[in-house]
Amino acid sequence: MEPDYLATVLLSSVSSASILLIATIGLAVVFGLMGVINLAHGEFLMIGAYAALTATQRGLPFALAIPVAVVITMLIGACVEVLIIRRLYGRLFDTMLATWGLSMIFYQLAVLIFGTVTPGIGMPQFGITIGRYSLAGYPLLMIAVAALMLAFVYGLLTRTVYGMKARAAIQQPEIAQAIGIESARVNTMTFAIGCGLAGFAGAVLLPIVPATPAMGFAFVVKAFLAVVVAGPVALTGSALTAIGLGGGASLTASFLTSVAGDAVFFVATAALLWLFPLGISASWRRRM
Amino acid sequence: MKSSLFLASLSMAAVLGAGPAHAETRIAAIFDLTGGLNIYGIQQNNALNLAVESINAAGGVLGAPIKVVTYDAQSELSKYTQYANTVVLRDRVDVLFAGLTSSSREAIRPIARKANIPYFYSSLYEGGACDKQTFVTGASASQQLSVLIDWAVKKYGKKIYVMAPDYNFGTISARWIEHYARQSGAEVVGQDFLALTVTDYAPTIQKIQAARPDFVVALPVGANQTGFLEQFAAAGLKKTIGLVSTNYGSGNQQIVLSPDAGKGLIGNAEYFMAVDTPANAAFIKQWAAKYGNDTPVISAAVDVWNAVHLWANAVNKAGTAKTGPVIAALESGATFDAPNGPVKLEAGSHDLRQNIYIAEGDDKHGFKIVQVSKDVAPAYENEKCDLVAHPALAAHFSPDKQ
Repeated sequence: MEPDYLATVLLSSVSSASILLIATIGLAVVFGLMGVINLAHGEFLMIGAYAALTATQRGLPFALAIPVAVVITMLIGACVEVLIIRRLYGRLFDTMLATWGLSMIFYQLAVLIFGTVTPGIGMPQFGITIGRYSLAGYPLLMIAVAALMLAFVYGLLTRTVYGMKARAAIQQPEIAQAIGIESARVNTMTFAIGCGLAGFAGAVLLPIVPATPAMGFAFVVKAFLAVVVAGPVALTGSALTAIGLGGGASLTASFLTSVAGDAVFFVATAALLWLFPLGISASWRRRM
Repeated sequence: MKSSLFLASLSMAAVLGAGPAHAETRIAAIFDLTGGLNIYGIQQNNALNLAVESINAAGGVLGAPIKVVTYDAQSELSKYTQYANTVVLRDRVDVLFAGLTSSSREAIRPIARKANIPYFYSSLYEGGACDKQTFVTGASASQQLSVLIDWAVKKYGKKIYVMAPDYNFGTISARWIEHYARQSGAEVVGQDFLALTVTDYAPTIQKIQAARPDFVVALPVGANQTGFLEQFAAAGLKKTIGLVSTNYGSGNQQIVLSPDAGKGLIGNAEYFMAVDTPANAAFIKQWAAKYGNDTPVISAAVDVWNAVHLWANAVNKAGTAKTGPVIAALESGATFDAPNGPVKLEAGSHDLRQNIYIAEGDDKHGFKIVQVSKDVAPAYENEKCDLVAHPALAAHFSPDKQ
């Protein structure tokens, strides 16, 4: 095995894993802090992608289109929390069913509004060369984006007043209310942040995954499994599982076939859940 | 509601039966109007309605307008089986136009055979479908690839890499690529079969670079696989390696792709909107008047348009919509001046002899035609499938694995 090939394979596997992590963080936040599995997560990704696409088509630079996408998905997320999620707290399967239904509605709305094909914005045409192999540059940039996103969310939840309130409202709801934390508002905020993170992911990944009504499906299964395998310490756990499972799958795909890559992902998921039925982080002391 | 509809159609049938010989002809359309495949299904359905409208405006068939029954298969295979049975048993249609994927066609084929009504399948496909009731108006893989591989080997060189979806369209097409590569003295240096859910193409990009081909035959299906083309360009591979495809553009991928990535990619199909014929100009004018011109017309839409016209002409020629005489009329050298040039239905194979176009992507989300191969026969289908000599044949031929 030539060293240049090995280096490109390793680098691109880390970048593939980072892309999965970017798509997963929002789901992990909502599950970790609210115990809600948002099956419409993929569609929030899609909404973020379309929001960023529409903003760039209106002449906004791509870098500014990303915050626009975040704000739009956060607003929609807040509405969804107030109208649907709030009424179903503690009913895990009912929320899954409701958000699944919501995902179909969002999907079909996207078809009606944007049609089935919309122009992409294209991938910035830069790359790097290692030996006689070259790699697209933008997917490599996602390694840094994933690291920053993770650091931001971790800081938000552990170092800010909102973060403390959010954790208190979920872990000790009655005591939190007794000391004056309005848990309903905090939860709306948390869900909105989770959706905003999905919107960010959809927008930042737009050059790699073109905006289509069905784009959410591509991510939601693996993101969902990464969160489930992670277990109760959702954020750190999901970061670990997304990097491990996603990177392992990509590595396998490079040396064998993409089918083998997917097989590794799903077999490893099953094996981990067999070894750790409550998720790999079940016995961790960390909070996030 | 359903039973009253049924009764209404029964009583209508009774009235019509007692009346003059001109019974109303009913045709069924089952396409994916919602779900992931509606990129194709909506246009297929639009094309059918447009064709029926123009035929009815010219007097219909057998002196009466055609009536259309429409169902949405929702991009789900089971719905095809369900609605194909519905149109046969309840709606009692005279002909069926349906399906996009090969699996949908294989689900419908036995139902049409048992009910003994003509069934038109209108999409590019892997080839080899052979059935007395089934007619295919899209191009087959061998029909497209015979032209494309020959052209690409001359243009780029003799080393070929294949990137294809991991199901029968991809795997059978890959066998044809090997076959035509050998004929042109070229060689397949690598293959990668990808599931439709894959979004990470970095491994494929590296394998391509490791194999050092002169050109890649990419057969991306669905929105995710369009991402492959974007990554191929961004990694800089487009500068040194050609990329050709039998289905790039078939779902308007050139609109999704950025101009930078799309420029210079080679598509190959029985129809591109850029085809310059009077019939195509008239067709596009009619299409734009009804549906606007935001989205380019895809080849599957033209395949449906051609199918409806071939059937209507056959009914008028036979003087009846009954299956036996209509199939006989279709097998008697049916031709049509189609938007993609003159087409001729091959009596034995029920596939279409038609032009195959090679087109190059430009930087404005469009194509320009670089080669026209006239009257390309579905050679493999004609060789294997002779439904005139063997009317009872019902098979799906595919080339042997090498």
